[in-house]
Amino acid sequence: MIKGKGNINYILGAAGVLLLLAAALIKAVPEGGLLPGSRKTITVGVFSDSYWEVPNGYAYRILEDAIEIFEEENPGVQVEYVSGIMKDDYSEWLAEQVLSGTVPDVFLLLREDFNGYAEQGVLMDLSELAQQDPEFQEDEFYSSALLAGQYRQRQYALPYECAPRLMFVNKTILDQENLGIPEEDWNWEEFYQICRQVTRDTDGDGVTDQFGVVGYTWEEAFDSNGVTLFDSDGTECFLTGNRVETAIRFIERLREIGGGTVATERDFALGNVVFQPMLFSEFRAYKSYPLSVKKYSGFEWSCIPMPAGPDGGNVSSLDTLLAAVSADTRHRQEAWEFLKVLTCDERIQAELFDYSEGVSVLRRVTESEDNLRQLIEDSESADTLNLRILSDAVENAAVAPRFRGLEEAKGEVNRAVEAIISSDTSISTGQIIWNREINKFLDGERL
Amino acid sequence: MEKGKLPGCVLTVMKNLNLGAILYIAALMAYSLRGIIEEGSALEFLSGISAVPLEPWKIPALSVCLCLSILCIMGVQSSGGWHLFGKVCLEVVLGFAVSWLLGFSYTGIVLLILADTMRYFPRSRWKFPAAVPICLVYLLLDYDLLSAAFDVVPLTAYMEYFQSRPRGIFLGIKNMLVSLNMFVFMVYMVLLVREQMSEKERILSLNQELNRANAQLQEANHQLEEYAKEAEKMVETRERNRLAREIHDTLGHALTGIITGIEACTVLMDVAPEAAKTQLKAIGDVARQGMTDVRRSVKALRPDMLERFDLAQAIENTVEEMRQAANVDIAYCCSTDLNCFSDDEEEIIYRIVQESITNSIRHGKAKHIQVEISRKYNMLRVFIRDDGTGCKSIKKGFGLSHMEERLGMLHGSLRCSGDDGFKVEAQIPVRWGTEEKND
Repeated sequence: MIKGKGNINYILGAAGVLLLLAAALIKAVPEGGLLPGSRKTITVGVFSDSYWEVPNGYAYRILEDAIEIFEEENPGVQVEYVSGIMKDDYSEWLAEQVLSGTVPDVFLLLREDFNGYAEQGVLMDLSELAQQDPEFQEDEFYSSALLAGQYRQRQYALPYECAPRLMFVNKTILDQENLGIPEEDWNWEEFYQICRQVTRDTDGDGVTDQFGVVGYTWEEAFDSNGVTLFDSDGTECFLTGNRVETAIRFIERLREIGGGTVATERDFALGNVVFQPMLFSEFRAYKSYPLSVKKYSGFEWSCIPMPAGPDGGNVSSLDTLLAAVSADTRHRQEAWEFLKVLTCDERIQAELFDYSEGVSVLRRVTESEDNLRQLIEDSESADTLNLRILSDAVENAAVAPRFRGLEEAKGEVNRAVEAIISSDTSISTGQIIWNREINKFLDGERL
Repeated sequence: MEKGKLPGCVLTVMKNLNLGAILYIAALMAYSLRGIIEEGSALEFLSGISAVPLEPWKIPALSVCLCLSILCIMGVQSSGGWHLFGKVCLEVVLGFAVSWLLGFSYTGIVLLILADTMRYFPRSRWKFPAAVPICLVYLLLDYDLLSAAFDVVPLTAYMEYFQSRPRGIFLGIKNMLVSLNMFVFMVYMVLLVREQMSEKERILSLNQELNRANAQLQEANHQLEEYAKEAEKMVETRERNRLAREIHDTLGHALTGIITGIEACTVLMDVAPEAAKTQLKAIGDVARQGMTDVRRSVKALRPDMLERFDLAQAIENTVEEMRQAANVDIAYCCSTDLNCFSDDEEEIIYRIVQESITNSIRHGKAKHIQVEISRKYNMLRVFIRDDGTGCKSIKKGFGLSHMEERLGMLHGSLRCSGDDGFKVEAQIPVRWGTEEKND
């Protein structure tokens, strides 16, 4: 009897342990089953169209070249990607892969998704790999671009391409008004004076038809006045403070110039506006887009850095497309190697100037003579585009916030700024009230 | 065994209920997660949570594995001590893991572990020290509390997938399972407590029985004490009787001899002064003998003659003394060996002879006394007859009844007759079996 009992104990104990082992095994089952394939395969997550919201005929061109280079350097390793995912659907697609446990080994990562995935442990911490790899040189990258891939001082992603925001200038109007192109280190006051001087009714019909600026919003003003609006996780907003107040006052002043008449982008296209802030990618798309009629043909133009605010510099935000490695990858080293091909290989990075609208994240590539010549050819005139301006703009750029719900948060800030401007109460009071509101909103967003 | 059956059944129900609840919640999570992926709201789902959930199929698979593992380990009978401690710890850790898997939305498994653990502490004082840590784990297992330390996806995030009506139904079923589990747990505990209470009652009734028996025993003891006292009193009475006998036998005997001797002296004094002198000397001897007898009686309550001489000699001495002291003709005839009797037999024989002679002299005023001791088979016969006055009706005085009493002790018998002088005949069965040799 006792012996029988003992046996049952052993059987039950063994069953318990076996089930535990089974549980551990289930937990550890990697994507794509337990058995390793005969060939190592790296999956890549990319979208087919341009990151820069511009129609692009070179879908997968750069990726294909990168795969070719990689497979040459790493025989026996195959790279696969799923085609046909549009940029607009990409975040959702990636989220589905994350939930299904089928995250690609290497994947492009939109700015808004970065913080969330880094926090949730979807992204592999690349810091150690980067340190141990002698081929990898951190300082080849623009520091601001590299910063975009950092979360809590750890590198979770590398920049793939980027684009700074620059000020687009209509040189024709400035010539007509006998005004020179502003210096690169110009400030708000100069910006305001030019706008005030050029805003007028040219044909005498009583309607203002020449304007100083279009599309200059609180975002540009905040960036160039040294305002950090959100914390990195998007849990807190910093709308209070003098810098914000100064920026809001400046926006208010700019708006008062035309007596309330606001220019549209169409006015800029028609050549009636002097300044428009634009991402470098937009600028390139308009200029080098081979399939369409050149949009801004009626005037001469150039681009310069953003005007500096009293408490900031000639700084704009940098939009960055990131590339990351899955934390669950079974081919850690190979994934890292492929990531390096995408981000650090000069051949691939140089192709960005051919087949994309962004700027390479590598200093050497962006500042190279070949690319300069390429850009000059695109822009038709040598002085239109100063490559040093571009490089400086990238180098000095502020890292844009990278949390989910950023667009909604910006909408809230926009509402707040409009409300503060139109309100009768003092700006600082409005700032405090709205800061609280936005914080409440951010808190609610994250549940 | 029969007694523990009902809580055992309830525990089985609870185990099945837990497995069911866990499977239900895991299935709900897997189903909604699958739906979220297919429906295209993965990004929205991921935005609202701080951790990435497991793949849909892994949640139920893992939960069931862990849950079954817990049940298996629960089935292992522990002998207590460290083995039990390790077992419970492992169970709690696994229970925590299951709870973690389900986003801390189900903690009933800890109640099951608590219920199972309590089986091992039916009466022990370790019950509370064992229950308190498990209860603490149960209290701490709360999503709102633990989400600060553990990145888990709450059940509510999964449930967002459903429309409000099915969501209400699904959550309602889950809450029902949780409540049912709680209810079964309480029933189990009540049964367990009740069983232990009845056990206590049994012990209590046993105690009462013991008390009753104790009381009876005490009473018996008391009675026994009374008996002892009574017996003591009886012994005392008997001793008193014996003492009275002794006085009668020794002092009475001596005094009778003295009185008779002195009476003779008063007669002789004038007639033959020399004879009177001799007589007085004999009386003195008798008095001295009586004195010694009294002393001896006081000391050992044993006839002095027997002390110093064997029975035959003692009888002869006594007869001789009486002859001289009372001036009576005493014929003594003994036809058997008297050296083979035990003390009590010797004493009674001696006393019969002594008493009878004394009686004959004192009451019968006899001049001739005949003493015969004979033996027929195993019966000793002591026969004394005198030529005295005798008596028409025998009033058994102290001496006679005493004699009878003593003979009764030896299973002997006494016959007296006062028709022609006085006759006493005592029959004593001889215990000593050597009659053949002597006859």
